[in-house]
Amino acid sequence: MLSWLIWAPLAVGVIGMALPKRLAGLWAIAGTAFVLGMAISLVTGFDTAGGMQQTTDVTWIKGLGVDYSLGVDGLSVFLILLTALIWLPATAYAAFQGQDRPQLFFGMMLLSETATLGAFCAQDLLLFVLFFDLMLIPFYFLFGVWGKDIPGGVTARAATLKMLIYTLVGSLLMLVGAIATAILSAHGGDITFSMRELAAHPLGSGSQYWIFWFFAAAFLVKMPAFMLHGWMPDAYRIAPLPALAVFSAVLSKVGAYGFLRVVLPIFPDATVHFQEIVLVIALAGVLYGSIMAFTQTNLRLIAGYSSVAQLGFITLGILALRPDGANGALLQIGNHGLVVAPLILIIAVVAARTGTDDLREMGGLATRAPILAAVFLIVILANLAMPGSANFIGEFYILNGVFQAKIVYAIVASLGIALAAFYSLRMYQKVMHDRGPEGESRSREISYRESLAVVPLVLCIVGLALYPQLVLKKTDNSASSAVAATCLRGANGEISVANGYGCPGGLPTFGTAPPANPGLELPSAGLEPVK
Amino acid sequence: MSATTWGWLVILLPLLGSITIGLGFRALPERAAGLIGVGAVGLAFACSVAMLISLLGDPAESRHHASSLWDYANAGGLDIQLGIYVDPLSVFMALVVSGVSALIHIYSYSYMQSDRGYRRFFSFLNFFVFSMLLLVLAGNFVLLIVGWAFVGFTSYALISFWYRRETATKAGMKAFVINVVGDIGLVLAAFLIFRELGVFNYEEVFAAAPHHFTTNDGTIVAICCLLLIGAFAKSAQIPFHTWLPDAMEGPTPVSALIHAATMVTAGVYLIARAHPLFELAPTAADISAVVGAVTLIIAGTIAIVVTDLKRIIAYSTLSQVGYMIMGVSIGAYSAGMFHLMTHAFFKSLLFMAAGSIIAAMANEQNIDKISGFRRAMPFTGACLVIGSLALSGFPSTSGFFSKDEILSFATARGGWYTAFGVAGYVGALLTGIYSFRLVFRVLGGEPNDEAKELMDTGHVVHGEPRNPATGQAEDTEVGYPGAEHHIAEQAPGMKIAMGALAVLALFGGIVQIPGLDDLVTKFLEPTFADSVIVPADTTGHEWFGLAIGGVVAFAGIGIAYFLYIARPGTAPALEKRFQGIHDFLFHKWYFDEAIDFLIYRPTIAIGSFANRVFERIVVDGVVNGATDVVRSAGGVVKAAQSGFVRAYALLLFAGFAGLALYFLIVSS
Amino acid sequence: MAVEWYLVLSALLFAVGAGGVLVRRSLLVILLCLEIMLNAGNLALVAFSRMHGNADGQIFAIVVMVVAACEVVVGLGLIVAIFRRKLPLNVDDLRGLKG
Repeated sequence: MLSWLIWAPLAVGVIGMALPKRLAGLWAIAGTAFVLGMAISLVTGFDTAGGMQQTTDVTWIKGLGVDYSLGVDGLSVFLILLTALIWLPATAYAAFQGQDRPQLFFGMMLLSETATLGAFCAQDLLLFVLFFDLMLIPFYFLFGVWGKDIPGGVTARAATLKMLIYTLVGSLLMLVGAIATAILSAHGGDITFSMRELAAHPLGSGSQYWIFWFFAAAFLVKMPAFMLHGWMPDAYRIAPLPALAVFSAVLSKVGAYGFLRVVLPIFPDATVHFQEIVLVIALAGVLYGSIMAFTQTNLRLIAGYSSVAQLGFITLGILALRPDGANGALLQIGNHGLVVAPLILIIAVVAARTGTDDLREMGGLATRAPILAAVFLIVILANLAMPGSANFIGEFYILNGVFQAKIVYAIVASLGIALAAFYSLRMYQKVMHDRGPEGESRSREISYRESLAVVPLVLCIVGLALYPQLVLKKTDNSASSAVAATCLRGANGEISVANGYGCPGGLPTFGTAPPANPGLELPSAGLEPVK
Repeated sequence: MSATTWGWLVILLPLLGSITIGLGFRALPERAAGLIGVGAVGLAFACSVAMLISLLGDPAESRHHASSLWDYANAGGLDIQLGIYVDPLSVFMALVVSGVSALIHIYSYSYMQSDRGYRRFFSFLNFFVFSMLLLVLAGNFVLLIVGWAFVGFTSYALISFWYRRETATKAGMKAFVINVVGDIGLVLAAFLIFRELGVFNYEEVFAAAPHHFTTNDGTIVAICCLLLIGAFAKSAQIPFHTWLPDAMEGPTPVSALIHAATMVTAGVYLIARAHPLFELAPTAADISAVVGAVTLIIAGTIAIVVTDLKRIIAYSTLSQVGYMIMGVSIGAYSAGMFHLMTHAFFKSLLFMAAGSIIAAMANEQNIDKISGFRRAMPFTGACLVIGSLALSGFPSTSGFFSKDEILSFATARGGWYTAFGVAGYVGALLTGIYSFRLVFRVLGGEPNDEAKELMDTGHVVHGEPRNPATGQAEDTEVGYPGAEHHIAEQAPGMKIAMGALAVLALFGGIVQIPGLDDLVTKFLEPTFADSVIVPADTTGHEWFGLAIGGVVAFAGIGIAYFLYIARPGTAPALEKRFQGIHDFLFHKWYFDEAIDFLIYRPTIAIGSFANRVFERIVVDGVVNGATDVVRSAGGVVKAAQSGFVRAYALLLFAGFAGLALYFLIVSS
Repeated sequence: MAVEWYLVLSALLFAVGAGGVLVRRSLLVILLCLEIMLNAGNLALVAFSRMHGNADGQIFAIVVMVVAACEVVVGLGLIVAIFRRKLPLNVDDLRGLKG
């Protein structure tokens, strides 16, 4: 089942290469729709109580202990759905927009879908690393070949190269880290890359400390986190928007997912040890991204810096090392994907109307395009985590987790919410309200085809806003056990910084509190407590 | 049906109305959109009444019901329900909100008729009513925050309703951002409550708090102060008040509904709702009372000098909300809620009357240019006078009973709370002066051109409307009312709404005459039964307070008469004599400038510094360093890539030869 | 006859071919030299096959010949194409791969 899901897009893409130009887009749409259907059936068949499901485990490279091992649990199930859900409208939008060499373009899009789904399903560390690196390849071509040079500025090639160097350095470090982990934990015995095995027998804290940073580097670059975001502005400026939509909505989330899937369970001691440093990086990302977002005038860059800030929130939630923070982070990963993809597609729609990405040259679009304005408004409100949206619940959970763990970070991070309100609304107002520089707007309404790509995503935002529990009830068990890994280590006295939060039974006692949520009990996802 | 079912209906009806109008904005005729809007809110009011009746059917001690539709977010130890809480306080608020909203919807049905954005307006207005009802009926702190933010958003959307007016979009942004700051206060308060008590539901929180906290515990004071940030931002109390006067950029019905009658009083509701917490934290309650008192006086002084018709009323709203905040903070819960109700009546009446005049003046709001409307618009004039009488607490009007009840409670509580009573009477004097300054200047004096034209021809035709603040031509295509205004007090909808509110403003006070009926107090009794602040019998104090209040109101109105009618030259003379003070007041105590200087500019400066210096040098520097390393490493390899095929071949052979040699050596 | 002689011949042929590839500049001659090298290999294969008394090596030799034929087809095709485009047939002048 999972293999079908992962490899179907690639198969579709390869077949699509052989099709004539005008069919390539439709074929790709059909393919992504099919994948979405599979993903939906995967989610509906998902057992909330159970741990790892739909597992496939085939020995792949025996001598190296590498398995072709797949599975879904609460951490990944909605990310898989998100991937399938975002790829469809982005592909559709790209098809409606028309591309040069469409067969190749959609082939690359579908290859990247395969890679991303693979990364979310992989349960073998080396397999995960391979899929993680495979994601980069199609985007190198998508950005480099179909990107647009900025007149008088950066060229598509240069920007793509910059992105490649950044992410490749991270990825290679991760590869080294993965190999080191497997070898060190084998203690001369049989090497295995199985995440489950590695998590069950963590390394000594000394090795964890340095390998932790190898993985963290890869994930933080991918997000991108503060100080490692140097590739982001240029890449966002040149990227073809449909590809950017999936990139920003899903690929950046793989980094956050990596923390939950790999770093927390396999390097628990190091996570607890370096918790504060990563929290500081995340917090800096929140503030820096927000402040940058409201000084920018390029719509793409506002979306980009706003993603930096949002990923900062997500990292905060994960590194709070509490079940509520992790749940919130998972919910927020989905939310942000659901918000940023339509946001970028709307930027594409707006840019198609005004011929520019620059706020200063826009204004008053709402007059002629009320539906576009309404859709944009919903997306903007979700982006600024308006209470009542699922984004708010995500941030609420995240900040609640951080608040209970490290109160100061939560208070400073809440500044980010106010800034988000400011830059998001500013973007909306400058585009839709006020008046353009020429006084009269040249806008027209969103077309039928464009709305086919954008509106379903917006409906998903609204639906999730009414019932965020849909996601939370499925993530709860796995998120709790992912953070529980860090506190079980804390209890055995091996490390000095014990994580007292998020541990089963380790929650502060409440006055008249109800019993702790069952989700807090011992992990059921296969992570055994360390003796 | 049970009270909670009615409660859900109360919330859902306006939401349905909003969605229907929003989705059908192309298909629905304008009138139909208006009727749907009015109908939805009217039904919501009917359901509120049904909820009241259902609640009154219960015995007094069990008049509280919670109901939950589904798990909204329940994971990781947090349990957030989509639930409402129906008790006398929320029913009272629901009645006031839906009732006043219904009247204002009727008013808008006529008032907005020449506006192109008619459907959008009703969709937003219905959504606002939904949000406000969600706020007052919410059953836990998270849902309260949701309603809280929704009203903030609709307030933004309606302030910048004429979205091609730059002053309006700026004002909307300001309102939204300040409100978000308030939201954050609430969110942090919710975190703190969760940390201490582990729950969000009102019932459980209020039940657990007294056992968990000692009085004036640092944590409970912090919780209450955070709640107060939310309350102050929403209720426009100093120093979060600057958005409210600017919010007058929106259409007048919006000012009446959101920025006078309902949303700005949410802070009062919040304090009343969370009174079990505030009573555990007297320090926070005192802070709140002081802020209320300071606001009511500062806003009063500003209202005396500003010249914008709607802004005068806006500052008076600040001041009146100050009374309410002060009232509920010192424990005069039912008095504060009662004032909330009467204020909703007379303040929306004032706004409606002002709207009528503004419509006749084609959106000119400067009272220096408005005069002599008493005969041109007699009905509006009468409403303006009634509203101002109630506002200044003229004996027997509704404002007289409600305001003076708060003040007499303060004096009855004694000690330093007497100071609040004194501040209140000073404020009342200011209220009398500024409200009748408005009345005398708008209605008195020589009729201006518009007033004359209205008297002669029955309607007013103006040229192209311009924004008085920027001189920019208004964009009438997107909804700003066009050149022709002939709705001034002639539209039946406006007359019905104003008439009904005028009656309520005059006689609304009879439901709570001290010692006679005290209906509001008795009804709210079950909610506030657990209050520990019970001053001795206050009836005597109240009658005494009413007497003082009456005298103060007379004095204020008398001063205004003296300044603006009897000796019209006095006011400008005073202005010259006290130029410095006048400037200080006219610039609204320089709050806007201070916020701009202390918060806005530094943030922008940091942003542009980050953009110019940090991003360029540090972040890009790292990248360029990395690319340089890669490039120089590439340079080394590049030399080998000569392009000579034969050189490659040589390399290949050499390689093979080396390999062969190696095997030879190894094997031998 | 001992197998050594065949191997010596094969090595000589191979050296001639390799030397040709390294020294000559004409594309055509380089192609011929490549063929010589392949045939040197074939010779060695056949010799060993005879030594061991089974036919495996000879089958390999035939396969190599097929490969060589293909190579000639492609190589000559390329040479003709280069000639047609009026490019020099001198490998030192064809330096498009220079980094």
